[in-house]
Formats: sequence, structure tokens, C-alpha cells
Amino acid sequence: MTPSESTLLEMRGVRKTFGSVVALDNVTLSVKRGEIHGLLGGNGAGKTTLMNVLFGLYKADTGEIAVDGRVTQVRSPREAIELGIGMVHQQFLQVNSFSAAENILLGTPLSNRPILDLTLPKQKIRALSEKFGLLLDPDATLESLPMGARQRVEILKALYRDAKLLILDEPTTMLTPQQVDSLFNSLRAMVKSGLSVIFITHKLREVLTLCERITVLRNGKSVMTLAREEATEDTFIKAMVGEEMNIGQSLLFAKSGYEAEIAQVGSKELLKVDGLSVEAASEENQAISDLSFSIREGEILGVAGVAGNGQHELAESLMRIRPCKGKVVFDGAEMTVLATRDLLARGIAYVPENRWDDGLLPKATVAQNLILGSHRHLPYSNGLMLNLGAILKRSQELIDEFKIKTEGPQALAANLSGGNVQRMMLARAFSQNPKLMIVHNPTQGLDIPSTEFVYNKLLERKRTGMATLLISENLDELFLMCNRVAAIYRGRIVGVLERGQFDAYRVGRMMSGLE
Amino acid sequence: MDQFDSFIGFARLILLALVPYVLASQGTMLSGRTGIFNVAQEGIMLLGASVGFLVALYTKSLLIGIIAAAVVGGLMGLALAYFSSTLKMDQFVIGLALFFIGLGASSLAFKLVVGVTLQLPRVPTLSNLRIPLLGDIPILGEILFNQNALVYFSVLISIALYYYLYKTSWGLELRAVGENPKSADSLGVNVVLMQYATTIIGSALIGVAGAYLPMVYTGVFTQGIVQGRGWLAIALTFFGGWRPQLIFLGAFFFAIVEVLSLRAQIVGSAIPYQFLRTLPYITTIFVMIYAFRWTRVPAFLGLNYDREKRSLS
Amino acid sequence: MKQTFISIGNTLIPYLVAIAASFLAAGLFIGVMGFDVLKAYETILFSSFRSPGAFTQTLVKFVPLLLQALAFTIPLAAGKFNIGGEGQMIVGAIGAAGVGIVFANQPVYLLLPLVLIAGIVFGALWAAFPAWLLYRFGINEILTTVLLNFVSFSVIDYVATEIWGDPAAGHPTTVPIGAGGELPLLMERTNLHAGFIIAVFIAVIVYIYTNHTSAGYELIATGANARASRAYGINVRSLFLLSLILGGAVAGLSGAIEVAGVHHRLIEGLQSNFLLLGLIIGLIAKGNHIGVPFVAFFIAVLEIGASSMQRTMSIPGEMVFIVEALILLFILLSDLVRKK
Repeated sequence: MTPSESTLLEMRGVRKTFGSVVALDNVTLSVKRGEIHGLLGGNGAGKTTLMNVLFGLYKADTGEIAVDGRVTQVRSPREAIELGIGMVHQQFLQVNSFSAAENILLGTPLSNRPILDLTLPKQKIRALSEKFGLLLDPDATLESLPMGARQRVEILKALYRDAKLLILDEPTTMLTPQQVDSLFNSLRAMVKSGLSVIFITHKLREVLTLCERITVLRNGKSVMTLAREEATEDTFIKAMVGEEMNIGQSLLFAKSGYEAEIAQVGSKELLKVDGLSVEAASEENQAISDLSFSIREGEILGVAGVAGNGQHELAESLMRIRPCKGKVVFDGAEMTVLATRDLLARGIAYVPENRWDDGLLPKATVAQNLILGSHRHLPYSNGLMLNLGAILKRSQELIDEFKIKTEGPQALAANLSGGNVQRMMLARAFSQNPKLMIVHNPTQGLDIPSTEFVYNKLLERKRTGMATLLISENLDELFLMCNRVAAIYRGRIVGVLERGQFDAYRVGRMMSGLE
Repeated sequence: MDQFDSFIGFARLILLALVPYVLASQGTMLSGRTGIFNVAQEGIMLLGASVGFLVALYTKSLLIGIIAAAVVGGLMGLALAYFSSTLKMDQFVIGLALFFIGLGASSLAFKLVVGVTLQLPRVPTLSNLRIPLLGDIPILGEILFNQNALVYFSVLISIALYYYLYKTSWGLELRAVGENPKSADSLGVNVVLMQYATTIIGSALIGVAGAYLPMVYTGVFTQGIVQGRGWLAIALTFFGGWRPQLIFLGAFFFAIVEVLSLRAQIVGSAIPYQFLRTLPYITTIFVMIYAFRWTRVPAFLGLNYDREKRSLS
Repeated sequence: MKQTFISIGNTLIPYLVAIAASFLAAGLFIGVMGFDVLKAYETILFSSFRSPGAFTQTLVKFVPLLLQALAFTIPLAAGKFNIGGEGQMIVGAIGAAGVGIVFANQPVYLLLPLVLIAGIVFGALWAAFPAWLLYRFGINEILTTVLLNFVSFSVIDYVATEIWGDPAAGHPTTVPIGAGGELPLLMERTNLHAGFIIAVFIAVIVYIYTNHTSAGYELIATGANARASRAYGINVRSLFLLSLILGGAVAGLSGAIEVAGVHHRLIEGLQSNFLLLGLIIGLIAKGNHIGVPFVAFFIAVLEIGASSMQRTMSIPGEMVFIVEALILLFILLSDLVRKK
């Protein structure tokens, strides 16, 4: 079979800039018919950008796209869909108040009349979902569906439109290990029936399990394309990371060197939570009932769980952003009646998961962002009046220490890139010199060097006795950094594992409520 | 007989009063359903009233005046759509700016054309169209089927909007734009077209709502003719949960309050007329307590969608 | 030093361009209508400086414009839109006039402060109701503040006719307030009253508050991202409430000053178009409390020019209002151009 007959998609010389930022630089990608092609790279490498160009959401500056050997233009998602391309985005694009069927059928020509009659389309949906093992009730409202079902809706959107090429962008971030296996099986079934798949991820292990050929992107450039058998794990890591990091000495990749340090824990109990209960404020929230745990000085306690099982509620109730009942003792003192600003003053810092909604002040300066939470204390203020000179000086120090890429303390925070926003949030939290740090998905969306930076900072403070409550949906991260990992399911802690007994499948079962 | 006349008269007045609220509110709802929150109604209605009156005066045709008001309203809507959907500016600020422009331009146009006179020119009132057969039903016929054309139009447009939004696939797409524009965009729905179309048509309706006032009530444009109805229309939109059928029903409440308050001022009552005049505004404030607690708003209302905006990373 | 000049230049250029563009657009229109364009420009821009009387007139106009702008920009810093400055001004004026009439015989060192304080308190109360509705029920303050404007028209009508009405007046007006309630004049034979000093003082205080205090920082943070501010211990809901009440207090003060300094009684219509101009000023200055006084002064100059133009050239004053609205539009557009 000549290459042209078996090639379904080719992208050549693609370049995309956002203002002065070069997101893609002369990228090439070629996907064969009936293959699962992995697109591997750290966050910010350009994988999503490349796929958004393919799907017509972004317009490339230069470059060619050829489908089935014919060079075409993809100017909008509508054209992409007509070419047989379907995409499952990282954040599901769904209308919560519509039913699953309505979401799937949105934008498709429904019979000849514009009248909304869903009987025939729903039959097709049911047939597809049975064929590929994607079980779903078409009439259920999106709001009521759990994460796994919502993903099936996204996949069915593409299958319903007779997609030839299915793109999945980081599909496993919200899934338990068992659900990941199920997804992989569905994908293999789809490929057997003639579909091709592009699988975007930054998780090397997944790509080696699932994909036949793998293209690695780094800093917007295509670094290499190899078949799975042709290279070792190390080759791929090197391709993803390049010269930016010393792989041999990094926490991420050479963990064994740090094992002794990570395993160390202080003896004094710092935080004790007893019988924490939080009422669900609305249908989208998860109530917490009778949750108890404790953390020692210098300990990193991980909380594993599928998103939506109470993680936000836990973090926010500990920080008193959400009302709760139960007893909380910190550093020997009762915390239950204190307000958020008192907790901050006593040494608890919080880095929320959603940086844009819950952490960033976009129209304010970097300096104004950095002092949030400490704005009534020295050195920033004497309680009443701000000390603008001290604020600028300290902000510059933090910018240097945390390597935040910005013009300076007076620059507008809205111009910071994602990784730098997170660095700023961490700078804000660490500058408080907290005794306890609560972080939620701290490395989500960060590129590899930034991720390494975060872990190093956590380890550095851990050495000085800082305790950390690490809430994360990333099991690799938890197993790397934590002394103990607790699994949360439907607002309860259903199990705790000690370091040395970490087992992904066991935690996965706990996260699904099966243990 | 006197009682019946009084009752019929009262009921007719309510239907008459209904029109500006229904039209302005449906117009607000329509663009709001694609995420564009129009707060310039007061200015657009003033401009519609002024331009509609002046054109009707000049062409001696109320119909052409109404069309002119629709066109002028549509142009304001075009501006709103351009600044919000394309330029992605803060919708409240743009709405206020358009409100200022409508306010100033309506007075300016009137002063330039009519000048300052003591004898104000007037246009004839919008005449009634009697529907054959139905109009002959005793009492009900007189109230419901012997009204001016815009009353009928208000009813028809509300029904049409209901069917369009909830019974057609185009309506599904339109609603999706206001709930999750990225989702709609990624499935090939033309978000920009929807936003422009709804905002232009919606503002045209608001312009017509303004023109209705001089043509039915006073015969001439005055600076105070809208009297806050533009703002009340926003409240009505929330009160009706952003649904055309509920907005139509809710408009009755606003119309009844307005008519009652006017009635009491004319007929006389123990309460000083100044307080009666506040009735529409005060009742609306209390209506909003209900509306904000219990109604559902399009998720993307007031926010601007940018296809190329990079989210998390 | 050079840096400061460059940055000031950077800020001013878009404004100069916006002003030029708006005048150009208006000039075309004026020319088409058959009027003398250059004479119109000259009248609008320079009437304020033609005589000392005109200049003091401008300063007198400046006072309510500045205060109305601040009544809008203080809540704006927290992200809230106070469109009720008109009603708050009217109700503040009612309170001030009421005190001035009821206690008319009191000496100036008692009556004047009382009159001003009454204005502040009444204005604050009139804003407190929509603020509470926002706090308790989450009701959008744009609508509630605007609706209360309309209610206030009826209240002043009633007060100026039925309660303290002056039977000799053809228009709803009250009897005069006591002499002790009048603001002293700053210059003889002008109407420049001490309210000018008060207004400037308030502007300075507001600037220090928003830009130099921790409390002011919380206001700005709330406006930038209320959810994030809440996550870091700021009591956002209270700040919404407080900012609206402060806005109402300043607007109420503007009403009291109009009563005590300009009319010496309560007159229906004293609110003029100050609210609209105040909103425009606040938006053009983009809520920046250094810029607000300067923009307010500029708009005062334009307004004096507008009435002069209407008197001497018969061009409707609304023309200038449209120019002001266009300046706002161009400023908003210039922001976009800068981002690219």
C-alpha cells in the first residue's frame, strides 16, 4: 500500500501566532487510515492549537491541510464536520439545560422540515451507542449526567455525524483507571469499524498503551513521529522535554533520587478535621458528610477523586468560603468559627483550581494580584494605608523568585499566560509563609518545566515543615508527591493508602465507590 | 350598561397599554437569548418615538412612520451587535452609550425639524381594525378584536417567537448560542449571524414600541413620552423568565398597573396623584424580587464569545 | 521623570483624538444644517473663558457634575452600576431643604452643616434600598436604581407642592431655606459658592480611599473579580452594599449643595441632566479617580458652551450632548485599538 492510499490526513507547514506568541511553527502531521495516532507533548506544546486549526476554530497563518489526498481549506467547524472530522474537546462543550439528544443533534439538518421532531434521530443515537458500547439515555438532561456519560455524549456527537476522523483532546483527565480502559476498548472498536483516531495527551503511558504511531510536539514544533515499537520511553521523554530540563535530576522523571525526602514526615499533628459536613448549595454541588482526617507537619496528604465528588466543597469549606459544620483544629487552636481572612492570617494558604474564575484579578496589575489576601498586613499595609513602595519592591522579588514572565509589577495581569498565572498564584500563596497549603489541581494545564517547578517548590517548603493538602485528579501527581493518598467519593473519604502501597487500580475502585 | 362600558373601556385600555411592554420586552429577550444583553431600550424607544413621529408627520402615513422607527431601532441594534459581538466590548457600557445617543438624537431631531413652537403639530391616532365575525362577539369582541394593528402584531409576534424558539431546530440552535456559544460554534452553528440577527430584529421591535407611544397616546413626540417603560421592559423580561409566552402574560401585569395608576389620577382618589404615579415603578421593584429568585437566565447573557480566545492553557 | 511624561502622553493622546473626531463629526452635521461651523466650535469650547462671570459659571456647573460622576464611579470600582444618582440627588435635596426650612432660624454654624449632612444621609438611604435588594435578593442594581429615579420625581413634586410649597411660584418650588443654611460665596458678585471647595475635597478623599487604602484595595479587587476576592477573605457582598451607599451619599450631597449654594430652596427640576453627564464623565474617565475631576471640568466647559451656542446661534444644545456621547464611544474604541 503506497503512503498516499493509506494516508487519511496530512497537515503540512502549519504556522499559527497569537499576537507575538508563536503557538505553532512549521508543524507536520500525518495520520493513516484506521490507525490510532497519538499526539504527545507537555501542556502548551501546541497540541490543542493544532487540532483547533484542523477543526476550523482557529485560522492558521500558513500551512496546508489535505484530507484523502485532496488539499482543502477548513474555515469553520461546519466545514470540518463536512469533511468527516469530529472533535471531543478537553472541556466538554455542552448546554447543561438541554437533553443529551438535543446536544448531539444541535446544528444537524433534521429531516426536511425545521420542526423539532427527535424520534428518528434518537433511534440512530441508540443504535450507535449500542454498537460502540457508549451507553447513554438520550432524554436525560446534561446537568444530571456524570462525567463519564457526558464524555460519551461528546463522542456520540462525532459518530452521529459519520465522522471518519475522531480527535480526542486529553480525554482521560476526568476518568478513573477503569473508565479509561473502557474508553480505550470503545476506541479500538471504532477503529476496527473504519474510523481513525487522533489521541492528544501528555501522559506517556497512555500513548504507549493505545497508539500505534506517535507524533511528539514541543514548543509548537513537531519534534518526531515514530511507531510505538521503534523507540523507548526515554526517547519520548527526551523529545517532549528537550534541553529545557535536566531529566536526570528532575523530580518528575528521576523520582527515585528524591524518595527519601518525599517520604519524610514530621511528628506534630498540624490539622485535624473531625466530622466535616457541608450542605450542597445547589444541584451541581456535592454535599460532604462526616469527613475526618488529619495532617502532620511536613506531610503531603493527597485527595484523589473524580471531579465533582466534593473536592471544591472540601477546599472551600476548610477555607470558610463555604459554610460547614464540624470541628477543625489547626496548630492547636479551634478554627471552626473563624472567617477566611483570619485563616489566611494564621497561616493557611489556598490555591484554587480555577485560576481565572477564582484566583485572578484580570484588570488589576500583577502587584495588586500578588497582595490579594495579605493586603491588610505588613509589609503591604499598616492595616489602613497601603505602602505602595513596599508593595512594588516585594512584588518584584516574587516575580524573580517564581520566574513569572511579565514586564513587571505594574503590568496588567490579564496579559499573563496560563503557566504564569499559576506561578503568580503560587507566589501569592507561598509569600504568606503558610504552615498549611491547600492546593487543588496545581499543575493542570502547565507545561513540563512549570510542573517541575511546582513540585520542587512544594518539596522545598515541605522540608521546612509546611504541610500540604493536595487535591488532584492526576494520580501520577499524587503518587509522586504524597505521603498518603485518600480517595473521596460522593463527599466521603472511602479509603486511605500509605506511600509504598500506592496502586492505581485500587484507588480507581475507591474513586468509583466500589471499595 | 354604564358598568359594561366602563369595564370594556378598562379592558381595552389594558390591551392598548400592553403593546409597548410586549414589543420592547420580546426584543430584549430575543437578543438576550444569544447572549447580547440590551440595556439601551429607553434610548431606542425615544429615538423610535421621535423618528417615527417625524416621519409620519412628513409622509402623512403612520405605517411609514412605524417602518422608519423599526429601521432606526434596527440600526441601533446593528451598532450594539457590532460593539458586543465583533468588538467584544462591555455590553452594559455600550448599552449606556447607546442610551445616551438615543436620548440626545431623539431630542435633537425633534428640535431641528419642529423647532420650538407653542402649537405642536400632531399625527392622527392609530386607527382600530375590526376583525370580521370575531369582532361581533358581545363584550369580548369589542375588547379583543377591535384593536389597532400593533395590538394584533404583539400577540402574533409572541406566538411566533414561542414556536420558533421551542418547536424548530433553528430555535434550538439560537437558544444554544445563549447557553454555550462555544458548543454551538463547534457544531457549525453560525453564532455571529444569530447574534446580529436577533439584536437587529430585537432592537427594531423596541423602536416600534417607542413609535407606538406618540401614535396611540399623545399624537406628538415629547421628551418624557417613554417615561421609564424601556427600563420596565427589562424587568418584564426577567419576570417572564426570558420566555416569550410568559413575557406576554407578564406584560398584562405591567399594563394593568399602568392603567390603574392613570385611571386613579384622572378619576381622583384620596391618595395624592404623585404617589399613584409611582405605582408602576414600585410594583416593578417588588416583581423583581420574585423574578431574580425564581427565573432562569441564559447562561451566557452579557458575556462576549471569542472563538479564538484561549481558555485554560 | 521622562517615563512619567511618556505615560501621561500615552494616556492623553486617545482622548485628544476622540475629542477631535467627535467635533469633526458634529461639525459636519452642523455645517450641513447651514450653521457656521467654526463659530460653533469657538462658542462651545471658549464660552467659559470669555469673561470672569462665565468662568465662575463653569465652576458652579462643575460641582454637581463632579459629584454625580463620583456617585457613579465609587460603586463602579466594585463592579456595580449606580444609575440612580438622579433620585439620590433629589432625595438628598429634599432632606437638605426640609432641614433648611424647618430649622430656618438656626445660626449658620449649626444649620449649614445640618443641611449638608441631611443631604448625605437622605441620598445614602435612597441608595440603600436598591443596595439591600442586591444584597438580600441578588437583584441587578441597574434596574432598581433607575426605577427609584422615577419615584423620586413624584416625591419632589409632592414635597414642593403640598408640604413646603411656595404658593406664589408657578412651578413646584418650596419656600426658601433659612439664611443660615446657605453656602457662603467664594467671590463677591458671582454665584461661585463654597460647594466648589467641598466638591474638590470629596474628590481628593475618594482618590485617597480607592488608591491608597487597604479598604479601597478591597473595593478594586472586588470589581476586578468578586469570586476571587471572596476566596481570599474579602467580604464582597458587604462591599457592594457599602459602595452603593457611599455613591448615594455623594449624590445626596450634590443635591444638598444645589439647594444650599445655588437655589436656596427646593425646586423641581434641580437635577437637570447632571446624572447623564455624570455617567458620561465617569465612563470617559474610565472610573479613574485622578481623571474624573479633569473630565468633569472639561464637560462643564462644553455644557456652558452648549447653552451659549443655543442662545446665540440657535443650534440646539443637544448637539453638544451627542458630541459628549461620541467622545465616550471613541474612547471605548481606542481601548480596543490599544489592545491590538
